[in-house]
Amino acid sequence: MDISFSEQDLQFKEEIRSGLENDFPSHIREKQNQGIALSKDDRIDFHKFLYDKGWAGYNWPVEYGGTGWSLVQIYLFLNELAYANCPTILPFGLNMVGPVIYTFGNQEQKDKFLPDILKFNAWWCQGYSEPGSGSDLASLKTKAVLDSDNYIVNGSKTWTTLAQYADWIFCLVRTETTQKKQEGISFLLIDMKSPGIEVKPIITIDGEHEVNSVFFTDVKVPTSNLIGEEGKGWTYAKFLLAHERFGIGAVPASKVQLQKLKDKTENLNDAELNKNIAELEIDLMALEFTELRCLAVISEGGNPGPESSILKIRGTEIQQRLTELLIEAAGQYILPYEGPEGFDSNRIPAGPDYASESVARYLNYRKTSIYGGSNEIQKNIIAKAILGV
Amino acid sequence: MNLTYSDEQNMLREQVLKFCETNYDFTDREKILKTDIGYDIANWNQFAELGWLAIPFSEDNGGFNFGPVELTVLFEEFGKSLVVEPYLSSIVMSGTIIENSNCPNKKEILEKIISGEHQISVAYAESNIGYNFFDVVTAVDEKDGKLLLNGSKLLVLNAANSNQYIVLVNYNSEISLVLVDKESKGLTLQSFKTLDGQTCGEITFENVLLNQDSILAHGENAKSLFNKMLDISILCICAESVGAMTASYQKTVQYTKERKQFGQPISNFQVLQHRMVDMFIETEITKSLLIKATLQLDMNEPEASKTISALKVQVGKAGKLVGQQAVQLHGGMGVSNEMSIGHYLKRFTAIDAMFGNTQHHLNKYITI
Repeated sequence: MDISFSEQDLQFKEEIRSGLENDFPSHIREKQNQGIALSKDDRIDFHKFLYDKGWAGYNWPVEYGGTGWSLVQIYLFLNELAYANCPTILPFGLNMVGPVIYTFGNQEQKDKFLPDILKFNAWWCQGYSEPGSGSDLASLKTKAVLDSDNYIVNGSKTWTTLAQYADWIFCLVRTETTQKKQEGISFLLIDMKSPGIEVKPIITIDGEHEVNSVFFTDVKVPTSNLIGEEGKGWTYAKFLLAHERFGIGAVPASKVQLQKLKDKTENLNDAELNKNIAELEIDLMALEFTELRCLAVISEGGNPGPESSILKIRGTEIQQRLTELLIEAAGQYILPYEGPEGFDSNRIPAGPDYASESVARYLNYRKTSIYGGSNEIQKNIIAKAILGV
Repeated sequence: MNLTYSDEQNMLREQVLKFCETNYDFTDREKILKTDIGYDIANWNQFAELGWLAIPFSEDNGGFNFGPVELTVLFEEFGKSLVVEPYLSSIVMSGTIIENSNCPNKKEILEKIISGEHQISVAYAESNIGYNFFDVVTAVDEKDGKLLLNGSKLLVLNAANSNQYIVLVNYNSEISLVLVDKESKGLTLQSFKTLDGQTCGEITFENVLLNQDSILAHGENAKSLFNKMLDISILCICAESVGAMTASYQKTVQYTKERKQFGQPISNFQVLQHRMVDMFIETEITKSLLIKATLQLDMNEPEASKTISALKVQVGKAGKLVGQQAVQLHGGMGVSNEMSIGHYLKRFTAIDAMFGNTQHHLNKYITI
């Protein structure tokens, strides 16, 4: 056993670090450091920056324009991004639909979609959850009926992240009503400009407009936008979720957040708070090493499988506890709060500078234990697949 | 970065597993606990024959020169069966100090330890100093050209079976580690059973006569040697705890599959499933920290001591959760002394209390 990274890996890390130091756009860096919400253009600029550095396809194979990096390199890359306080890479194109297209799509689809995903010329969103289908995703009802060269789609999707900016949506739709609910599902790519699509904002408890409802009324989708085979959508959906798992523990982001928490609360000299922070730091250290253990298993050609559910559960618990400690530290000064944009510079309420941001994060991060398969669903997975009960 | 065990390490694991399967089911253990000495001499001799008593020592001293990784493999397997033989006190604690001390006849002593015929215990705890072990009152003083030891020590593991004691003392206003024969004049011993069925002793020293060769280490050397002993010992009991957690959650899963209520196995109930998942997660998370601490100690990294404190905190919290929930999910059987499951809880409780409990190490973690 050996805990250290190889010379080449360390050199790789240095290259990423210096690339970020020199070229990370300063207007994004400033907003990130001040905890200000990013605009649509900021997000696009960030992804264009990744593309210009040759990093956009960080987890893609070389033949589709990716970097072909090893898992260790991907791990180090994502760590460096977090340490540099970069925004999160939007996963819908690069981590989700991209790998589905290059794995299950036909040549025409690869040529049409992959370059724009890499260059971030197209903004993608995910059409999975429905009002009646959350944890029981396979019960979804949005219907696609074949009509010569088109599918006619009717139904609705919900919790669609940043759909208000999206050019495309990938959707799970029901093309057949079958006895086994997983079998009649297909995977469709839908142009958000299609007539019959309506996007309505859902405002979350922090006041943020991040998620949406998307309604489909007789939306025409060319059959050439069907991925793989009709009725095999569930297989592709599961593949996509497996792709999503890695990095779901959000360890580097939590490390950055923990450091911020320590810096902000250092001069409070609150022994109880310091103890809570220390316990959280220990939990995070243990989680980070658990992630490395998973990484080691994959690098050896193995499959960590359901054990990675641990990363989702513990990672999100830690993310949430971090937000809780920050509002605890801010105490009564959290009361003035008008939304995620904070306050105008000419009317700032008294109290620590992190008070308003801490409320936004606390309320916003309640989502983490709910999305991506709720933590209860993750426990069901572990119970069944590992404990065998 | 490589986190796989070597073939040699896997073989050791297999060997210990096989030994425990053959010699250490719960009824075997019960019999051992009922004996006066509190462990099985035949088992100890077998440890010697299998070479396990030589694991951490250098080749010069007749050992295998293995490191923390092998020790944690051994202890993890011990933990699964709640092995009570005095490996921690005789080999890890005493062995570490003797091997790294100024002891003039260390080679000879280590040879006898490795062969299983000689045992030593470390006497460090006292009644009024808690976990601040260096605040010792027990002292060695020079009187008429003689070195005299006075004071008393408690919680000395396996004390009644040891031939010698390494005693943490104050000498010339500095910390010293001295080696004392059990048969010395002025030494009295009272033995107790511990909550988890092991043995410990209280030792009183009244004008016990020492010579210069008795001093194993003095001043800063003694302190750093004692801390080195603490680090490796904590690592070992944490590995033991991970093994005990693994056994606890696995036995609990098995039991809930067999136990039927309301016409079905109680493992069907989601509230119990999620509880067992929590036990599993705590075990895996603790194992991660164990591996990290082990490798850092193996590489002599300066961060190792801090990680070991983090590990002791995690082991304390996880052991409590896993141990208590294992008892809870076994229902009445969990609190029955005739079932193994409650004995794991006792061991978790003892492990947390040893070498600084959760709160102590959390504070230490903050100040390091």
